[in-house]
Amino acid sequence: MGAPEVARPGVDVSGACSHEAGHPLLENVIVLSNDRVAEGVGVIVLQSPRVAAAVRPGQFVHLRIAEGSDFILRRPFSVHRAEEGRIHILYQVLGPGTRVLSEKWQGDKMDLIGPLGHGWQVPNGVAHALLVAGGLGAAPLGMLAEELARRGIAVTVAHGAPTASRLVGRDVFEATARRVMTSTDDGSAGERGLVTTLVERALDAERPDVVYACGPEAMARIVAAHAAGADVPCQVSLERLMACGVGACLSCVVATTEGQRRACVEGPVFDAERVIWDATGIPPKHEESAWHL
Amino acid sequence: MAPVNRSMNVDMTVRLGSLELRNPVMTASGTFASGREYAEFVDLERLGAVVTKGVSMTAWAGNASPRIAETPSGMLNSIGLQNPGVEAFCQTDLPWLAARDVPIVVNVSGHSIAEYVAVAGRLDAEPDVDALEVNISCPNVDEGGMTFGTTCAAAGDVTRAVRAATSKTLIVKLSPNVTDITEIARAVEAEGADAVSLINTLLGMAIDTDTWRPKLARGAGGLSGPAIRPVAVRMVWQVASAVAVPVVGMGGIMNARDAAEFMLAGATAVAVGTANFVDPTTTVRVLDGLEQYCQERGIAQVSALTGALKA
Repeated sequence: MGAPEVARPGVDVSGACSHEAGHPLLENVIVLSNDRVAEGVGVIVLQSPRVAAAVRPGQFVHLRIAEGSDFILRRPFSVHRAEEGRIHILYQVLGPGTRVLSEKWQGDKMDLIGPLGHGWQVPNGVAHALLVAGGLGAAPLGMLAEELARRGIAVTVAHGAPTASRLVGRDVFEATARRVMTSTDDGSAGERGLVTTLVERALDAERPDVVYACGPEAMARIVAAHAAGADVPCQVSLERLMACGVGACLSCVVATTEGQRRACVEGPVFDAERVIWDATGIPPKHEESAWHL
Repeated sequence: MAPVNRSMNVDMTVRLGSLELRNPVMTASGTFASGREYAEFVDLERLGAVVTKGVSMTAWAGNASPRIAETPSGMLNSIGLQNPGVEAFCQTDLPWLAARDVPIVVNVSGHSIAEYVAVAGRLDAEPDVDALEVNISCPNVDEGGMTFGTTCAAAGDVTRAVRAATSKTLIVKLSPNVTDITEIARAVEAEGADAVSLINTLLGMAIDTDTWRPKLARGAGGLSGPAIRPVAVRMVWQVASAVAVPVVGMGGIMNARDAAEFMLAGATAVAVGTANFVDPTTTVRVLDGLEQYCQERGIAQVSALTGALKA
């Protein structure tokens, strides 16, 4: 089978963007559990029936982490998994806001807006997908892996992290993927090295029909280049600081061949070939601190 | 306190020049786009007016990212008035908003007096536009914007030129980044402004002490949110005493009490900005709360709050 057309036609697993579908919700949610899964990394499960029923892979929720005005901005989080009225969110403690999130207890209440954004697209005719997760980049790929497996599409995962304990989202990938390739910077799990090396090899050996990537922007950019070199369409989920989350404030723009596009509405998933990496909106000097909220 | 008479009919109407609003709750430019993004959360037809994102003559790309940073009780932004230009606005956003029964105030931006005039002239031809808000106070563009709002001469020149280009209600949005905001208010009033709105954001800066870099790519930006409310209330109070035209008050309004505070200081109407990001239903929450606030006190007309501050 030849490489399918990128995204445009094809089946839209995100249900188009939620704005076109017309149903972003403001929902009160309750914390069901909040567990530390690695140093500075947690998974919080929220009772959020309306979002759980509507969310499509790659979409996100805009979470208000505290009342009052200490943390005035909501935080966008990908929905990692959705099941029976619940959503799972993976987060990394990077600053005071995410620290507050890490201190939530069962029964605590918050509110969120969602589901938001344009998620992953599955082009027509895809039989085999390569998912690339760098660190917390596993967050938006969990639901996708489940959706692809449900539809009988073979899934290969290239999963990388600094160290073994940071390979979050492992359980979903192992339950859904035909093959999970692993790398860590310190060699504590899988190969020692970068996930982009695994991607290069998988593109060559497995000839996937499509690549889905999320992780540090430097990783996404290299994955996109490898995919383009192999003539395989690639989608990337990009992360931006965001205020409104609904397309009004223009905080989260990504530079694309179609102009400045809002990560909250036209993204967070973009066709990699349309992203202008040299001007994506976050200069490299800022990437390290973008989420130090 | 006496029992609340929730059936009491409060007259919520207010007047900005020749423009009558069904209530005093407006949106702050740049926080509400042209309303469409919030229509899921808010019945736009309940609002006093929708004030649009700033519109310039040609498309502006805006600034580099990061464009925002969270700060104590507030946020910094340096969006840079990204917009598709007045023609695209008139073709796309305006017809959508005009199909709703709500007054439309279009925020006008420019790099030069000629650009302000050109945008105002283009909008003057649109019957669906009820008022123009001239932005002489954006801190995030290099030319134009705030540079027109920090001297009486420049503020007066822009106002005079735009006044000549439009017969619509003319609101001028003032910058707080001045030594004496009342002088600027008087200057724009003298040149024909029908109302003034204030405050735009306060210039601010935040630095990441891990990376030693500014949190905004542009370095400095505009501070908004509850952090600036006392400054805004003070300036509204000063300006309302200095000019005869109505004042639209804004700066960190999160709830009805905050809105009442601005009205007591002298504002005829108020605008909700940053709070839209926190809670997309803030505008209607403020509106309902303001009506209840009046009911609880037996106030028959919301306009009675304006300038009712006691010594």
